[in-house]
Amino acid sequence: MARDLAIDLGTANTLVYMKGRGIVLNEPSVIALNRQTGEVLATGREAWQMIGRTPGYIVAVRPLRGGAITDFEITERMIRLLLQRVGVSRFTRPKVVICVPSAITEVERRAVTDAARRAGAADANLIEQPMAAAIGADLPIDEPVGNMVIDIGGGTSETAVISLGGIVALEAVRVGSFDIDAAIQNYVRREHGIAIGERTAEEIKVAIGSAYPTLDENQAEVRGRDLMTGLPKTVLLTPEEVRFATEDVISSIVASVVRCLSKAPPELSQDFLVRGMYLVGGGGLLRGLAERIERETKVPVKMSNVPLEAVVLGAGHVIEHYEALKNMFMGARR
Amino acid sequence: MSTGIVILIVAVIVVVAVGLGRRLRRRAANDGVDSFRRQIDALSPEARKPTVDQVKSAERSNGDERADGSDVA
Repeated sequence: MARDLAIDLGTANTLVYMKGRGIVLNEPSVIALNRQTGEVLATGREAWQMIGRTPGYIVAVRPLRGGAITDFEITERMIRLLLQRVGVSRFTRPKVVICVPSAITEVERRAVTDAARRAGAADANLIEQPMAAAIGADLPIDEPVGNMVIDIGGGTSETAVISLGGIVALEAVRVGSFDIDAAIQNYVRREHGIAIGERTAEEIKVAIGSAYPTLDENQAEVRGRDLMTGLPKTVLLTPEEVRFATEDVISSIVASVVRCLSKAPPELSQDFLVRGMYLVGGGGLLRGLAERIERETKVPVKMSNVPLEAVVLGAGHVIEHYEALKNMFMGARR
Repeated sequence: MSTGIVILIVAVIVVVAVGLGRRLRRRAANDGVDSFRRQIDALSPEARKPTVDQVKSAERSNGDERADGSDVA
């Protein structure tokens, strides 16, 4: 008998929670394929290490962008391989709950559930990421009080107001931490004339990226390919430059939080001033982001204890209490 | 005679149908209340604790396996 699964199918990482066991898989959502034969060469961390470093016949891709499936067939193969790794076979078909961005279209929803069913799931249901994040972050969403969660993922940023187990207000933008990486890549190319890969851009973000000035500001040495000469070149990048490069993306995320706040009913709005808002997701780890949101909204912002695992933990809780919580699936509420 | 029996049968059917309908409607209303209560109970911190504890204990036994190869100097 298969154990039921909860999957956080993120643009950046895929996490799998197995009923009764906890988180059994946490890997980048990347797949490496042989371009000629279409054969899968690697998935997860192994494939992630290949990004930007492959010979011509290998391609390492992220099959999800902006939280949506960009290549259905590749996503299905990736899900199938990941499920195989956690023990799902042709004979053990578990029930699966998948976390998806709340803003995905009906067509995208169907693509995700179809991909999971074809990959071996007996039944696939979807749950909104901010709802799962709020459950996983241990917010008191069972009470009639305003709980606000900001989930910043690789491809989407979602803010939701939740009370009494339901979403009261929601705001989502298809902008996330990959857009911050892309902005850094573009800036370095434009201002310093060197080309860097997406992994290097991510490393710059982790090393010196910030959304608000911080106390420990260090420069970073960045190595790339000179666009004029084609030779390797090293440049120094400052945190102010990175803030300038990523300003548009950060502003767009902060603006969506402000829009969500303005949608909340007044009775719940006053709760935020006392209880604060909770940041989850890998993008929420960007230095100074909590301070920046706090400064612009005048509402306290707190970091979840489990920012990277909150979504899959929440979905895991739903799979543990499947019958009681099945009303929370997308499409179940009327 | 036969007309009387038919009317009686129809009346019995109507009474039974109305009774059944009322009972079903009451049960449906209670189902809504029960299902909402079950949902809220399942979302309580006490109900969520075992899920979080399970993951924490698994993390403790596995150690921190999160690795990221960041090497920007």
